[in-house]
Amino acid sequence: MAAPFRPCDHCAKPAVVHNTVIVNGQMNEVHLCEDHAGAAGIQMPGQAPIHQLLGQLAQVAVTRPRGPACPECGHTFHDFKTSGLLGCPACYDAFASTVGPVIERSHGGASEHIGNVPARADDANQRAALLQQLLRELETAVSAEQYERAAQLRDRIKDLRPTTAARIDAAP
Amino acid sequence: MTDLTAMMAGDRDVVMSCRVRLARNVSGFPFVGRATHPQRREVLETVRAAAGPDEASVGLVGGGRVGASTAESLAWVDLAALPKRDRQLLWERHLISRQFAEGDSPRAVAVTPDERFSLMVNEEDHVRIQVLRTGNMLREAFDAAVRVDATLGSRLDFAFHPKWGYLTACPTNVGCGIRIGVMVHLRALRVTNEIEKVKRAAKELHLAVRGFHGEGSEATGDWFQISNQRTLGVTETGLLEEFAGRIVPAVVAYEREARRVLLERQRTLLEDRVFRGISLLRSARLLGLDEAMKQLSSVRLGVCLGLIPDVALDTLNRLTIQLQSAHLRTGESGIESDDDERAARARVARTILGEQ
Repeated sequence: MAAPFRPCDHCAKPAVVHNTVIVNGQMNEVHLCEDHAGAAGIQMPGQAPIHQLLGQLAQVAVTRPRGPACPECGHTFHDFKTSGLLGCPACYDAFASTVGPVIERSHGGASEHIGNVPARADDANQRAALLQQLLRELETAVSAEQYERAAQLRDRIKDLRPTTAARIDAAP
Repeated sequence: MTDLTAMMAGDRDVVMSCRVRLARNVSGFPFVGRATHPQRREVLETVRAAAGPDEASVGLVGGGRVGASTAESLAWVDLAALPKRDRQLLWERHLISRQFAEGDSPRAVAVTPDERFSLMVNEEDHVRIQVLRTGNMLREAFDAAVRVDATLGSRLDFAFHPKWGYLTACPTNVGCGIRIGVMVHLRALRVTNEIEKVKRAAKELHLAVRGFHGEGSEATGDWFQISNQRTLGVTETGLLEEFAGRIVPAVVAYEREARRVLLERQRTLLEDRVFRGISLLRSARLLGLDEAMKQLSSVRLGVCLGLIPDVALDTLNRLTIQLQSAHLRTGESGIESDDDERAARARVARTILGEQ
């Protein structure tokens, strides 16, 4: 059924926009034809220009909270949540408090690497740090009487030591 | 002639192939997803220079065989410049991942002529070392992968963290960055409806069970890829021992037992499926991929149980790849429609298995 004819508030053309506006607590009805609605800056339904829509979308994207970014690569925690991927090696430290628990959960609660170390670790400090950590673990394993684990740790410490010593000796 | 004893060696009756993959990233660059195309190109050049031109230089050839004269050349394939069908071909041969086959960013894969080794550069991580072997040869695959890792690691600074280990774009790979996996054919366990038990047990052991094409493919057929999920808080050798020493033998024994029970209690039903399978593959004129794989699976079971003595296991293993879409379209000209492809698939199956 066609809508009852209602002329525009400003001319005789049929009104296509029917708005209710409240000004100072006073409710007023506004009826405008297409031309006068356009003049008043009101878009027809379905006529919103695409650049305006995109502008709004872009605004939404900008204003959505994205959390702190990695100082190295600019990756955010939001990026990580969206893609499941981190942006660069530094992200692991930048998001340690948030990504750390996720990592531990996905590895059955494990929180430390106990496998191989690259032949050329970034610098001697990393090897030294790993050595310290393994020594701590060894202490824990021995006090908990986990002898098999302790033996594994000793082997790894033995593997690490000569290189670390060599690097420290070689340092100026 | 099929030699059942030879087939049992290396668990080839159940284990189609095994794979060891290592994920590594080059220090000083963002991970691939965050890297610009120029950065990806730089990573590619850096890794390529470090890997060298042949198997010996990349570290695949150990011991007394080192030397350019005996070493095979590595074929470097620039994925960005490769036609789509060829990329799919590499994927069908399990040399690259599906993700790696798609997209237009700078990336490449190095492959040895025997296709037992591939090095993907700029997949999800800068470097993915992959060693493949037929049957259950996990220890050999592991040794080869470790050798390549040691060689590349002596020339490149891999991103490494004292707490988290080898840093990877996806934290599920962090730590050792290693995936040890086997592709197993569990036809009998499917028939006896025990496959869910295997999946449940695998889950409890923190293992992933995937389909024929690994990540992203459904484990709906009779081929399953079983691989470790945990890479942190474990050692590489510990994982290898767990896989080669416990998991694979258990899965193999379980499938063999199911086969034995089938043969003993449902021999007629089993033979019916096996012989229908081989008849169909030897006589069909139109063959869809799903149907081909299903029948290949039945036939493979029959071959492993000695029911079809004139078909070799290797022939069937090769067919699982030769009947894939890009392989057919590369091997046969004039394939345009799906029906053309189905006709070509039937033709290849008939030719290779011998039309009856």
